[in-house]
Amino acid sequence: MSEKVEKFESKIKSTSTARANKRMSWLLLAPVLIFFAMMNILPTIWMLGLSFYNYTLTSANGATYAGLSNYFDFVKNEQLSQSVSRTFLFLIIAIICQTFLGILIGVLFWKNDKMPGKRLALTLLFTPMVVTPIATALFWKLILDPTFGVMNYFLTSLGLSKVDFLTSSSLAFPTLIVVDTWMWTPFMALMTLAALGSVPKAELEAASVDKLPIYRQVTTVIWPHAKFILMLGILLRSIDAFKTMDLTYIMTNGGPGDRTELIALSLYRFAFKSFKLGYASAVSVFLLFIAIALTAIYLHVLNARKKAEAQA
Amino acid sequence: MYDINLKNVTKGFGNLQAVNDITFTIPKSSVTVLLGPSGCGKTTLMRMIAGLETPTSGSIFFDDIDVTRVPTKRRNLGMVFQYPVIYRGTSVKRNLELPLLSEKLSAGEISKRVNDVADLLGISGDLNKMVEELDNGTRQKIAVGRAIARQPQIILFDEPITNIDITAKLELKRSLKEVFSRLSQTIVYVTHDQTEAMTLADQIALMQDGVITQCAPPKEIYEKPKSQFAGWFLGNPGINFIEKEHISVAGSGINSSLFSQTIDAGSHASQVKVLGVRAEAIEVKTTQSPEARSARVVRKSLGIGGQYLLDLEYGSLKVKARVAHQLGREIGDQVWTTITSSDVIMFNEAGVAI
Repeated sequence: MSEKVEKFESKIKSTSTARANKRMSWLLLAPVLIFFAMMNILPTIWMLGLSFYNYTLTSANGATYAGLSNYFDFVKNEQLSQSVSRTFLFLIIAIICQTFLGILIGVLFWKNDKMPGKRLALTLLFTPMVVTPIATALFWKLILDPTFGVMNYFLTSLGLSKVDFLTSSSLAFPTLIVVDTWMWTPFMALMTLAALGSVPKAELEAASVDKLPIYRQVTTVIWPHAKFILMLGILLRSIDAFKTMDLTYIMTNGGPGDRTELIALSLYRFAFKSFKLGYASAVSVFLLFIAIALTAIYLHVLNARKKAEAQA
Repeated sequence: MYDINLKNVTKGFGNLQAVNDITFTIPKSSVTVLLGPSGCGKTTLMRMIAGLETPTSGSIFFDDIDVTRVPTKRRNLGMVFQYPVIYRGTSVKRNLELPLLSEKLSAGEISKRVNDVADLLGISGDLNKMVEELDNGTRQKIAVGRAIARQPQIILFDEPITNIDITAKLELKRSLKEVFSRLSQTIVYVTHDQTEAMTLADQIALMQDGVITQCAPPKEIYEKPKSQFAGWFLGNPGINFIEKEHISVAGSGINSSLFSQTIDAGSHASQVKVLGVRAEAIEVKTTQSPEARSARVVRKSLGIGGQYLLDLEYGSLKVKARVAHQLGREIGDQVWTTITSSDVIMFNEAGVAI
């Protein structure tokens, strides 16, 4: 009988310990969860709600319910659609350039394993990536300045005429892509190095013993292993490039005209220049959906990788 | 087919001397097993033959062609790695075909070779399967198939059975034995497993600390080890060593509490420092006889194949003897043993057989 009682008591004890543990884990998680709710979930819900209202900070009128009119306005706004398509164009060209150059640099570093000073060269190569984008934008603005910039100094020393990179309607957008590429190519080079590092050495050696030509080595050995990390790199860059604002804001402020106005900058203007918060929220919701779509692809790639690894 | 001639081949990695001045010939059309414990330099030596490592000094010749600086692709060899290498996302058939595509063979010839190799390895039924579906044993068979389908002059095997699970291991070993008997190529096989070496080799090159200490057919290397290391490394258990405190030298004869007779060492007697006797060379009886020595059983280990091991004690000398299960002796029992003089191996101070 007493044995039964003991068992029962120990069961109660273990249940109460488990409960206490659970409570403790919630307690420890609470600060992060509260912070996440306050800074992420609530503002997102607030933004979603606001997108259905006409609400301008500078107007004396309060918020008025507007249904889907903000969304209709946004779809109809030609300038904004241009801004969206410009952002996609920026994203596609910049990422193609960064991926191409990144793979090239990554492969060069990978192939020349015994290159003297490799470590120093790698450190230098990755510097642009670690500099704050605002600082990058500022010093590129100075480099490209038509009067004081070193770029024009070199051009004139070579007997060429001065070029106004940031205010020329044909050059501003490509210049922005060049600077973004300068800044983010190292990231793609790093991803390439990581991707190539994930290829098992024995498989590469087997391919060379089996006398596989280089294109077959790439398709049958390197790509099946490297594709996941490379695709993740491209996706991360896409998500990030879609939100590019600091470069355009500092270097061109969207100009000349609206030639370099990307969607994030437009959004900033609606929200914090025109104070049209309802409208800006509708644009934000649109951006949020694009970000979610890109993240979904990212997660899909991650899962595909996990599956492939499980198979191996 | 090629002989592989190594001339003063040395390879160092920083302070570590992995291969130390090896001069050695691997004869053509034979199976040579590089056997040794981990870190003895056997894989490094094979990788240098493959061209995957470059010697720090020395030269490698295929017959009389110096290939020391020739890249792997141009050495015309096949290699099977420890980790079963497959080309992912393709079928077994495609895996076997890939190395043949750069050989400029007709489609008919490629198909014939693929089918022949698949038949030989018993994977004909898997030809259309995707390689990812297969277990490691079959994957390694594909790797073997790729290496032999191209019919290169030399085929290298770098511990191909090590990473395979136990049931597939036996099957793969059997396949390899079958494959080796059919091939006329020069085959070099690296392993740390003496059973594999004994089963597959025409000759075993035993390596220790970056040098080849002995090269001989399996039976010879087992029965006549040239060094204490060879005697210890080969055999399970390794050879029994009778150290100098248990032996006495009188003229050309050597005595020990283990022997009833005097062992004749001729003019080398004074050099003998250690004696070696294999566990199975000790004949154990349960009845006394005039020529037998008395010993006590101090340990009994389970054996396999109807045999087990006894640890026997002759005063302060302990040795292991392999006996038949029927002997029926237990710990503490007395037994009587005899040893034939010709089964005793003599080693000098440096551990070299005399």
